[in-house]
Amino acid sequence: MLSRNFRLQKVGTIDWLHKNYNFSHIAFYIDELIVLDVSRSERNIERFTNVLKTLAKGCFAPIAAGGGIRKLSDARQLLRSGADKVVLNSALFDDPKFVTELAQEFGQQCVVGSIDIKRGDDENYHIFTHNGMNLMHEQVGDLLGQLPEKSIGELYLNSINQDGTGQGYDLKLLDLIPQKLNFPTILAGGAGHSGHLVNGLLDERVDAVATAHLFNFVGDGLKKARDSVRLQDVDLAKWPPLSELGQISL
Amino acid sequence: MSMNKNVTIVDYGSGNLWSVLSALEFLGARPVISSKPADVLKAETILLPGVGCFRLAMESLIQKNLDDAIKEVVMIKQRKILGICLGFQMLADSSSEDGMTAGLGLIPAPVEVFGAQELKGRKLPHIGFNQVKLPNSSALFDGFTGAEDFYFVHSYRLLSQTLPGKRATCNYGVDFLAAYENKNVYGVQFHPEKSQTNGLRLLKNFLSV
Repeated sequence: MLSRNFRLQKVGTIDWLHKNYNFSHIAFYIDELIVLDVSRSERNIERFTNVLKTLAKGCFAPIAAGGGIRKLSDARQLLRSGADKVVLNSALFDDPKFVTELAQEFGQQCVVGSIDIKRGDDENYHIFTHNGMNLMHEQVGDLLGQLPEKSIGELYLNSINQDGTGQGYDLKLLDLIPQKLNFPTILAGGAGHSGHLVNGLLDERVDAVATAHLFNFVGDGLKKARDSVRLQDVDLAKWPPLSELGQISL
Repeated sequence: MSMNKNVTIVDYGSGNLWSVLSALEFLGARPVISSKPADVLKAETILLPGVGCFRLAMESLIQKNLDDAIKEVVMIKQRKILGICLGFQMLADSSSEDGMTAGLGLIPAPVEVFGAQELKGRKLPHIGFNQVKLPNSSALFDGFTGAEDFYFVHSYRLLSQTLPGKRATCNYGVDFLAAYENKNVYGVQFHPEKSQTNGLRLLKNFLSV
Protein backbone atom coordinates (compact mmCIF):
# COMPACT_ATOMS: atom_id res chain seq x y z
CA MET A 1 0.00 0.00 0.00
CA LEU A 2 1.40 3.37 -0.96
CA SER A 3 0.42 6.77 0.28
CA ARG A 4 0.80 9.84 -1.83
CA ASN A 5 1.32 12.05 1.17
CA PHE A 6 3.70 14.59 -0.40
CA ARG A 7 5.63 11.88 -2.16
CA LEU A 8 5.00 8.31 -3.12
CA GLN A 9 5.97 6.37 -0.04
CA LYS A 10 5.53 2.90 1.20
CA VAL A 11 3.15 2.94 4.14
CA GLY A 12 2.20 -0.64 4.79
CA THR A 13 0.44 -3.76 3.71
CA ILE A 14 -3.24 -4.35 3.27
CA ASP A 15 -3.46 -5.42 6.93
CA TRP A 16 -1.85 -2.16 7.92
CA LEU A 17 -4.51 -0.27 5.96
CA HIS A 18 -7.32 -2.11 7.68
CA LYS A 19 -5.79 -1.75 11.12
CA ASN A 20 -4.65 1.88 11.04
CA TYR A 21 -7.19 3.45 8.75
CA ASN A 22 -10.15 1.18 9.38
CA PHE A 23 -10.51 0.81 5.64
CA SER A 24 -13.72 -1.21 5.84
CA HIS A 25 -15.31 1.84 7.51
CA ILE A 26 -13.83 4.34 5.04
CA ALA A 27 -15.01 2.20 2.14
CA PHE A 28 -18.60 3.15 2.98
CA TYR A 29 -17.92 6.78 2.03
CA ILE A 30 -16.62 6.32 -1.51
CA ASP A 31 -18.52 6.00 -4.79
CA GLU A 32 -15.81 3.89 -6.32
CA LEU A 33 -12.44 2.41 -5.39
CA ILE A 34 -9.40 2.49 -7.67
CA VAL A 35 -6.67 -0.01 -6.84
CA LEU A 36 -3.38 0.21 -8.73
CA ASP A 37 -0.41 -2.12 -8.65
CA VAL A 38 2.48 0.35 -8.90
CA SER A 39 5.26 -2.20 -8.45
CA ARG A 40 8.29 -1.14 -10.41
CA SER A 41 9.85 -4.56 -10.29
CA GLU A 42 8.19 -7.55 -11.93
CA ARG A 43 4.48 -7.67 -11.23
CA ASN A 44 2.77 -10.72 -9.86
CA ILE A 45 -0.90 -10.98 -10.79
CA GLU A 46 -1.58 -13.70 -8.18
CA ARG A 47 -0.25 -11.53 -5.40
CA PHE A 48 -2.16 -8.49 -6.65
CA THR A 49 -5.48 -10.32 -7.02
CA ASN A 50 -5.09 -11.64 -3.47
CA VAL A 51 -4.72 -8.07 -2.19
CA LEU A 52 -7.68 -7.05 -4.34
CA LYS A 53 -9.85 -9.85 -2.95
CA THR A 54 -9.06 -8.78 0.60
CA LEU A 55 -9.93 -5.17 -0.20
CA ALA A 56 -13.09 -6.12 -2.09
CA LYS A 57 -14.27 -8.24 0.80
CA GLY A 58 -15.32 -5.17 2.76
CA CYS A 59 -15.99 -2.75 -0.08
CA PHE A 60 -19.49 -2.70 -1.53
CA ALA A 61 -18.84 -0.11 -4.22
CA PRO A 62 -17.58 -0.48 -7.79
CA ILE A 63 -13.87 -1.25 -8.02
CA ALA A 64 -11.48 -0.39 -10.84
CA ALA A 65 -8.15 -2.22 -10.72
CA GLY A 66 -5.02 -2.26 -12.82
CA GLY A 67 -1.34 -1.67 -13.16
CA GLY A 68 0.68 -3.46 -15.83
CA ILE A 69 -2.28 -5.39 -17.25
CA ARG A 70 -1.33 -6.74 -20.70
CA LYS A 71 -3.28 -9.98 -21.05
CA LEU A 72 -6.97 -10.85 -21.20
CA SER A 73 -6.34 -13.65 -18.70
CA ASP A 74 -4.93 -11.16 -16.18
CA ALA A 75 -7.90 -8.84 -16.71
CA ARG A 76 -10.27 -11.77 -16.20
CA GLN A 77 -8.53 -12.61 -12.91
CA LEU A 78 -9.07 -9.04 -11.68
CA LEU A 79 -12.73 -9.17 -12.69
CA ARG A 80 -13.21 -12.42 -10.80
CA SER A 81 -11.56 -10.97 -7.71
CA GLY A 82 -13.93 -8.10 -7.05
CA ALA A 83 -12.98 -5.63 -9.80
CA ASP A 84 -15.65 -4.26 -12.13
CA LYS A 85 -13.31 -2.31 -14.37
CA VAL A 86 -9.74 -2.67 -15.57
CA VAL A 87 -7.43 0.35 -15.55
CA LEU A 88 -5.00 0.59 -18.48
CA ASN A 89 -2.19 3.10 -18.82
CA SER A 90 0.86 2.25 -20.96
CA ALA A 91 -1.10 -0.28 -23.04
CA LEU A 92 -3.42 2.53 -24.24
CA PHE A 93 -0.60 3.80 -26.43
CA ASP A 94 1.64 0.83 -27.14
CA ASP A 95 -0.96 -1.94 -27.49
CA PRO A 96 -4.26 -0.49 -28.79
CA LYS A 97 -5.21 -3.95 -30.10
CA PHE A 98 -5.29 -5.22 -26.51
CA VAL A 99 -7.51 -2.28 -25.49
CA THR A 100 -9.97 -3.22 -28.23
CA GLU A 101 -9.89 -6.91 -27.29
CA LEU A 102 -10.52 -6.09 -23.65
CA ALA A 103 -13.58 -4.01 -24.58
CA GLN A 104 -14.88 -6.71 -26.92
CA GLU A 105 -14.55 -9.36 -24.23
CA PHE A 106 -15.87 -7.45 -21.21
CA GLY A 107 -17.55 -4.36 -22.62
CA GLN A 108 -16.46 -0.75 -23.11
CA GLN A 109 -17.66 0.17 -19.59
CA CYS A 110 -15.00 -2.18 -18.24
CA VAL A 111 -12.03 -0.19 -19.58
CA VAL A 112 -10.67 2.84 -17.72
CA GLY A 113 -8.01 4.79 -19.59
CA SER A 114 -5.49 6.16 -17.09
CA ILE A 115 -3.37 9.05 -18.36
CA ASP A 116 -0.40 10.47 -16.43
CA ILE A 117 0.37 14.03 -17.54
CA LYS A 118 3.32 16.17 -16.52
CA ARG A 119 3.81 19.91 -16.98
CA GLY A 120 7.37 20.67 -18.04
CA ASP A 121 9.48 23.68 -17.04
CA ASP A 122 8.38 25.30 -20.32
CA GLU A 123 4.71 24.96 -19.18
CA ASN A 124 4.08 22.42 -21.95
CA TYR A 125 2.23 19.26 -20.98
CA HIS A 126 3.31 15.75 -21.88
CA ILE A 127 1.93 12.26 -21.35
CA PHE A 128 4.16 9.82 -19.50
CA THR A 129 3.69 6.03 -19.50
CA HIS A 130 5.39 3.12 -17.74
CA ASN A 131 4.99 4.39 -14.17
CA GLY A 132 5.74 7.92 -15.27
CA MET A 133 9.15 6.92 -16.65
CA ASN A 134 8.50 7.16 -20.37
CA LEU A 135 7.94 10.55 -22.02
CA MET A 136 5.59 10.61 -25.04
CA HIS A 137 6.79 13.28 -27.43
CA GLU A 138 3.53 13.87 -29.34
CA GLN A 139 1.06 16.55 -28.22
CA VAL A 140 -1.30 15.43 -25.45
CA GLY A 141 -4.38 16.33 -27.52
CA ASP A 142 -3.14 14.36 -30.52
CA LEU A 143 -2.41 11.29 -28.39
CA LEU A 144 -5.81 11.46 -26.68
CA GLY A 145 -7.46 11.88 -30.08
CA GLN A 146 -5.86 8.64 -31.25
CA LEU A 147 -7.31 6.56 -28.40
CA PRO A 148 -9.74 3.81 -29.47
CA GLU A 149 -12.84 5.76 -28.41
CA LYS A 150 -15.30 2.91 -28.62
CA SER A 151 -13.14 0.68 -26.45
CA ILE A 152 -12.75 3.00 -23.47
CA GLY A 153 -15.46 3.71 -20.91
CA GLU A 154 -13.88 6.58 -19.02
CA LEU A 155 -10.69 8.59 -18.62
CA TYR A 156 -8.67 8.91 -15.42
CA LEU A 157 -6.51 12.05 -15.76
CA ASN A 158 -3.67 12.34 -13.28
CA SER A 159 -1.31 15.27 -12.86
CA ILE A 160 2.18 13.99 -12.07
CA ASN A 161 3.16 17.46 -10.82
CA GLN A 162 0.27 17.77 -8.39
CA ASP A 163 0.12 14.14 -7.34
CA GLY A 164 1.00 13.81 -3.67
CA THR A 165 1.36 17.54 -3.06
CA GLY A 166 -2.03 18.14 -1.51
CA GLN A 167 -2.05 21.50 -3.34
CA GLY A 168 -5.16 20.88 -5.45
CA TYR A 169 -5.97 19.51 -8.89
CA ASP A 170 -4.55 20.89 -12.12
CA LEU A 171 -7.76 21.88 -13.93
CA LYS A 172 -5.72 22.82 -16.99
CA LEU A 173 -5.44 19.11 -17.77
CA LEU A 174 -9.04 19.33 -18.89
CA ASP A 175 -8.16 21.89 -21.57
CA LEU A 176 -5.95 19.26 -23.18
CA ILE A 177 -8.85 16.94 -24.02
CA PRO A 178 -9.96 17.37 -27.65
CA GLN A 179 -13.51 18.76 -27.93
CA LYS A 180 -14.72 15.83 -30.00
CA LEU A 181 -13.98 13.35 -27.22
CA ASN A 182 -16.86 12.71 -24.88
CA PHE A 183 -15.42 10.41 -22.20
CA PRO A 184 -16.69 10.57 -18.64
CA THR A 185 -13.62 11.99 -16.85
CA ILE A 186 -12.14 11.33 -13.42
CA LEU A 187 -9.70 13.99 -12.24
CA ALA A 188 -6.81 12.89 -10.03
CA GLY A 189 -3.64 14.17 -8.48
CA GLY A 190 -3.32 16.86 -5.86
CA ALA A 191 -6.42 16.81 -3.65
CA GLY A 192 -5.44 17.77 -0.13
CA HIS A 193 -8.79 18.72 1.38
CA SER A 194 -12.48 18.71 0.56
CA GLY A 195 -12.31 22.17 -1.05
CA HIS A 196 -10.14 20.67 -3.75
CA LEU A 197 -12.70 17.94 -4.37
CA VAL A 198 -15.35 20.64 -4.78
CA ASN A 199 -13.16 22.64 -7.19
CA GLY A 200 -12.82 19.58 -9.37
CA LEU A 201 -16.47 18.59 -9.26
CA LEU A 202 -17.74 22.09 -10.04
CA ASP A 203 -15.94 21.99 -13.41
CA GLU A 204 -18.55 20.73 -15.82
CA ARG A 205 -15.99 18.65 -17.70
CA VAL A 206 -15.33 16.58 -14.58
CA ASP A 207 -17.56 13.62 -13.76
CA ALA A 208 -15.68 12.40 -10.70
CA VAL A 209 -12.67 13.27 -8.57
CA ALA A 210 -10.17 10.86 -7.07
CA THR A 211 -7.98 11.17 -4.02
CA ALA A 212 -5.21 9.03 -2.59
CA HIS A 213 -4.26 11.61 0.00
CA LEU A 214 -4.17 10.12 3.47
CA PHE A 215 -5.57 13.33 4.92
CA ASN A 216 -8.88 12.34 3.38
CA PHE A 217 -8.82 8.98 5.07
CA VAL A 218 -8.02 9.91 8.65
CA GLY A 219 -10.96 9.37 10.97
CA ASP A 220 -14.14 10.82 9.48
CA GLY A 221 -12.23 12.80 6.83
CA LEU A 222 -13.96 11.24 3.89
CA LYS A 223 -17.42 11.39 5.45
CA LYS A 224 -16.92 15.10 6.20
CA ALA A 225 -15.58 15.69 2.69
CA ARG A 226 -18.74 14.11 1.24
CA ASP A 227 -20.92 16.30 3.45
CA SER A 228 -19.11 19.50 2.49
CA VAL A 229 -19.17 18.62 -1.22
CA ARG A 230 -22.91 18.13 -0.98
CA LEU A 231 -23.30 21.60 0.56
CA GLN A 232 -21.99 22.99 -2.75
CA ASP A 233 -24.98 21.53 -4.60
CA VAL A 234 -22.91 18.77 -6.12
CA ASP A 235 -25.17 15.77 -6.65
CA LEU A 236 -23.61 12.79 -4.87
CA ALA A 237 -25.19 9.40 -4.39
CA LYS A 238 -26.66 8.85 -0.92
CA TRP A 239 -26.86 5.84 1.32
CA PRO A 240 -27.29 5.52 5.08
CA PRO A 241 -24.40 4.71 7.43
CA LEU A 242 -23.94 1.06 8.23
CA SER A 243 -25.21 1.62 11.78
CA GLU A 244 -28.68 2.44 10.41
CA LEU A 245 -29.05 -0.97 8.85
CA GLY A 246 -29.75 -2.43 12.27
CA GLN A 247 -28.77 -5.97 13.06
CA ILE A 248 -26.75 -6.86 10.01
CA SER A 249 -26.10 -10.50 10.73
CA LEU A 250 -28.92 -12.86 9.88
CA MET B 1 -38.47 -12.94 10.73
CA SER B 2 -37.42 -16.20 9.11
CA MET B 3 -33.91 -16.18 7.74
CA ASN B 4 -32.48 -18.14 4.89
CA LYS B 5 -28.80 -18.47 5.48
CA ASN B 6 -28.01 -20.97 2.75
CA VAL B 7 -27.73 -19.28 -0.61
CA THR B 8 -26.60 -20.92 -3.82
CA ILE B 9 -24.89 -18.55 -6.24
CA VAL B 10 -25.19 -19.93 -9.75
CA ASP B 11 -21.83 -19.90 -11.54
CA TYR B 12 -22.14 -20.16 -15.31
CA GLY B 13 -18.72 -18.67 -16.03
CA SER B 14 -19.45 -14.96 -16.06
CA GLY B 15 -20.22 -12.38 -13.47
CA ASN B 16 -18.47 -10.83 -10.52
CA LEU B 17 -18.99 -13.71 -8.13
CA TRP B 18 -16.48 -12.52 -5.56
CA SER B 19 -18.41 -9.33 -4.79
CA VAL B 20 -21.74 -11.11 -4.49
CA LEU B 21 -20.15 -13.72 -2.25
CA SER B 22 -18.53 -11.05 -0.07
CA ALA B 23 -21.78 -9.14 0.36
CA LEU B 24 -23.72 -12.25 1.38
CA GLU B 25 -21.00 -13.30 3.82
CA PHE B 26 -20.95 -9.77 5.26
CA LEU B 27 -24.67 -10.21 5.98
CA GLY B 28 -24.00 -13.43 7.84
CA ALA B 29 -25.37 -15.77 5.17
CA ARG B 30 -23.67 -18.99 4.07
CA PRO B 31 -23.31 -18.62 0.32
CA VAL B 32 -21.95 -21.37 -1.89
CA ILE B 33 -20.93 -20.95 -5.51
CA SER B 34 -21.91 -23.82 -7.77
CA SER B 35 -22.21 -24.69 -11.44
CA LYS B 36 -23.86 -28.07 -10.73
CA PRO B 37 -27.59 -28.59 -11.49
CA ALA B 38 -27.84 -30.98 -8.51
CA ASP B 39 -26.79 -28.19 -6.13
CA VAL B 40 -29.27 -25.77 -7.67
CA LEU B 41 -32.09 -28.32 -7.36
CA LYS B 42 -31.58 -28.64 -3.62
CA ALA B 43 -30.94 -24.94 -3.01
CA GLU B 44 -33.00 -23.05 -0.43
CA THR B 45 -32.34 -19.69 -2.01
CA ILE B 46 -30.90 -18.99 -5.46
CA LEU B 47 -28.91 -16.01 -6.62
CA LEU B 48 -28.29 -15.55 -10.34
CA PRO B 49 -25.60 -12.90 -10.87
CA GLY B 50 -24.36 -11.68 -14.19
CA VAL B 51 -22.22 -9.34 -16.19
CA GLY B 52 -21.79 -9.81 -19.90
CA CYS B 53 -23.72 -10.82 -22.97
CA PHE B 54 -27.22 -12.37 -22.73
CA ARG B 55 -26.79 -14.89 -25.56
CA LEU B 56 -23.45 -16.23 -24.34
CA ALA B 57 -24.69 -16.41 -20.75
CA MET B 58 -27.85 -18.37 -21.76
CA GLU B 59 -25.78 -20.71 -23.92
CA SER B 60 -23.51 -21.35 -20.97
CA LEU B 61 -26.49 -22.02 -18.64
CA ILE B 62 -27.98 -24.47 -21.13
CA GLN B 63 -24.69 -26.20 -21.78
CA LYS B 64 -24.29 -26.83 -18.04
CA ASN B 65 -27.96 -28.00 -17.76
CA LEU B 66 -28.51 -25.18 -15.28
CA ASP B 67 -31.52 -23.73 -17.12
CA ASP B 68 -33.86 -26.65 -16.36
CA ALA B 69 -32.56 -26.89 -12.79
CA ILE B 70 -33.34 -23.22 -12.15
CA LYS B 71 -36.82 -23.48 -13.70
CA GLU B 72 -37.64 -26.58 -11.65
CA VAL B 73 -36.42 -25.25 -8.32
CA VAL B 74 -38.24 -21.94 -8.82
CA MET B 75 -41.50 -23.07 -10.48
CA ILE B 76 -42.05 -26.47 -8.86
CA LYS B 77 -40.21 -26.27 -5.55
CA GLN B 78 -41.13 -22.58 -5.22
CA ARG B 79 -37.71 -21.55 -3.92
CA LYS B 80 -36.95 -17.87 -4.12
CA ILE B 81 -34.55 -16.49 -6.69
CA LEU B 82 -32.88 -13.12 -7.11
CA GLY B 83 -31.50 -12.20 -10.53
CA ILE B 84 -28.92 -9.41 -10.60
CA CYS B 85 -28.36 -7.27 -13.73
CA LEU B 86 -27.85 -9.77 -16.57
CA GLY B 87 -29.12 -12.43 -14.17
CA PHE B 88 -32.39 -10.45 -13.88
CA GLN B 89 -32.64 -10.20 -17.66
CA MET B 90 -32.09 -13.96 -17.97
CA LEU B 91 -35.23 -14.54 -15.87
CA ALA B 92 -37.24 -12.87 -18.66
CA ASP B 93 -38.73 -14.43 -21.80
CA SER B 94 -36.15 -13.31 -24.33
CA SER B 95 -33.54 -10.73 -25.25
CA SER B 96 -32.61 -9.09 -28.52
CA GLU B 97 -28.95 -8.75 -27.46
CA ASP B 98 -26.69 -10.28 -30.12
CA GLY B 99 -29.62 -11.91 -31.94
CA MET B 100 -32.95 -13.00 -30.41
CA THR B 101 -32.34 -15.48 -27.58
CA ALA B 102 -34.85 -17.19 -25.27
CA GLY B 103 -34.46 -16.61 -21.53
CA LEU B 104 -35.65 -18.67 -18.56
CA GLY B 105 -39.23 -17.41 -18.93
CA LEU B 106 -39.83 -16.80 -15.22
CA ILE B 107 -40.81 -13.18 -15.86
CA PRO B 108 -43.15 -12.61 -18.83
CA ALA B 109 -41.28 -9.74 -20.47
CA PRO B 110 -38.85 -9.19 -23.32
CA VAL B 111 -35.44 -7.55 -22.88
CA GLU B 112 -34.55 -4.70 -25.23
CA VAL B 113 -31.76 -2.19 -25.64
CA PHE B 114 -32.56 1.46 -24.80
CA GLY B 115 -33.69 3.24 -27.94
CA ALA B 116 -31.67 6.21 -29.22
CA GLN B 117 -34.75 8.47 -28.99
CA GLU B 118 -35.55 7.34 -25.44
CA LEU B 119 -32.03 8.17 -24.28
CA LYS B 120 -32.36 11.83 -25.35
CA GLY B 121 -28.61 12.18 -25.88
CA ARG B 122 -27.49 10.02 -22.97
CA LYS B 123 -24.77 7.49 -23.61
CA LEU B 124 -24.85 3.71 -23.34
CA PRO B 125 -24.07 1.83 -21.25
CA HIS B 126 -25.95 3.47 -18.38
CA ILE B 127 -23.21 3.50 -15.70
CA GLY B 128 -23.19 4.85 -12.18
CA PHE B 129 -25.41 5.45 -9.18
CA ASN B 130 -28.95 6.45 -10.13
CA GLN B 131 -32.12 7.01 -8.18
CA VAL B 132 -34.66 4.19 -7.99
CA LYS B 133 -38.31 4.97 -7.27
CA LEU B 134 -39.63 2.32 -4.94
CA PRO B 135 -43.03 0.63 -4.84
CA ASN B 136 -45.17 0.78 -1.71
CA SER B 137 -45.11 -2.21 0.63
CA SER B 138 -42.46 -4.21 -1.13
CA ALA B 139 -40.53 -7.03 0.53
CA LEU B 140 -37.33 -6.24 -1.35
CA PHE B 141 -37.43 -2.55 -0.40
CA ASP B 142 -38.63 -2.96 3.19
CA GLY B 143 -37.21 -0.14 5.32
CA PHE B 144 -36.52 2.14 2.34
CA THR B 145 -38.50 5.28 1.76
CA GLY B 146 -39.44 6.84 -1.57
CA ALA B 147 -36.33 6.82 -3.72
CA GLU B 148 -32.81 5.49 -3.16
CA ASP B 149 -29.52 5.38 -5.07
CA PHE B 150 -28.25 2.15 -6.59
CA TYR B 151 -25.32 1.38 -8.91
CA PHE B 152 -26.12 0.46 -12.52
CA VAL B 153 -24.07 -0.86 -15.45
CA HIS B 154 -26.25 -1.92 -18.41
CA SER B 155 -27.49 -1.13 -21.91
CA TYR B 156 -30.56 -3.42 -21.96
CA ARG B 157 -33.62 -3.56 -19.72
CA LEU B 158 -36.85 -5.52 -19.26
CA LEU B 159 -39.91 -4.01 -20.92
CA SER B 160 -42.50 -4.03 -18.22
CA GLN B 161 -45.86 -2.62 -19.39
CA THR B 162 -48.04 -5.57 -18.46
CA LEU B 163 -46.19 -7.36 -15.69
CA PRO B 164 -47.91 -8.70 -12.58
CA GLY B 165 -46.13 -8.10 -9.27
CA LYS B 166 -44.35 -5.11 -7.82
CA ARG B 167 -42.04 -2.81 -9.70
CA ALA B 168 -39.42 -0.19 -8.96
CA THR B 169 -38.42 2.20 -11.71
CA CYS B 170 -35.43 4.31 -12.60
CA ASN B 171 -35.10 7.02 -15.23
CA TYR B 172 -32.41 7.20 -17.88
CA GLY B 173 -34.06 9.40 -20.45
CA VAL B 174 -37.00 7.06 -20.13
CA ASP B 175 -38.47 5.20 -17.14
CA PHE B 176 -37.35 1.59 -17.02
CA LEU B 177 -37.77 -1.43 -14.75
CA ALA B 178 -35.10 -1.23 -12.04
CA ALA B 179 -36.42 -3.96 -9.73
CA TYR B 180 -39.21 -6.49 -9.68
CA GLU B 181 -40.82 -8.94 -7.31
CA ASN B 182 -43.61 -11.42 -7.87
CA LYS B 183 -44.13 -14.25 -5.39
CA ASN B 184 -40.79 -16.06 -5.22
CA VAL B 185 -39.21 -14.37 -8.25
CA TYR B 186 -37.08 -11.27 -7.60
CA GLY B 187 -34.85 -9.29 -9.90
CA VAL B 188 -32.81 -6.09 -9.87
CA GLN B 189 -31.26 -4.33 -12.85
CA PHE B 190 -28.71 -2.60 -10.60
CA HIS B 191 -25.90 -4.21 -8.60
CA PRO B 192 -26.83 -4.40 -4.89
CA GLU B 193 -23.38 -5.82 -4.14
CA LYS B 194 -21.94 -2.53 -5.45
CA SER B 195 -24.54 -0.16 -3.98
CA GLN B 196 -23.07 0.38 -0.52
CA THR B 197 -25.48 0.12 2.42
CA ASN B 198 -28.55 0.48 0.16
CA GLY B 199 -27.53 -2.71 -1.61
CA LEU B 200 -26.70 -4.54 1.60
CA ARG B 201 -30.12 -3.68 3.00
CA LEU B 202 -31.82 -4.92 -0.14
CA LEU B 203 -29.89 -8.21 -0.07
CA LYS B 204 -30.74 -8.61 3.60
CA ASN B 205 -34.41 -8.02 2.75
CA PHE B 206 -34.26 -10.67 0.04
CA LEU B 207 -32.68 -13.20 2.40
CA SER B 208 -35.26 -12.36 5.06
CA VAL B 209 -38.38 -12.77 2.90
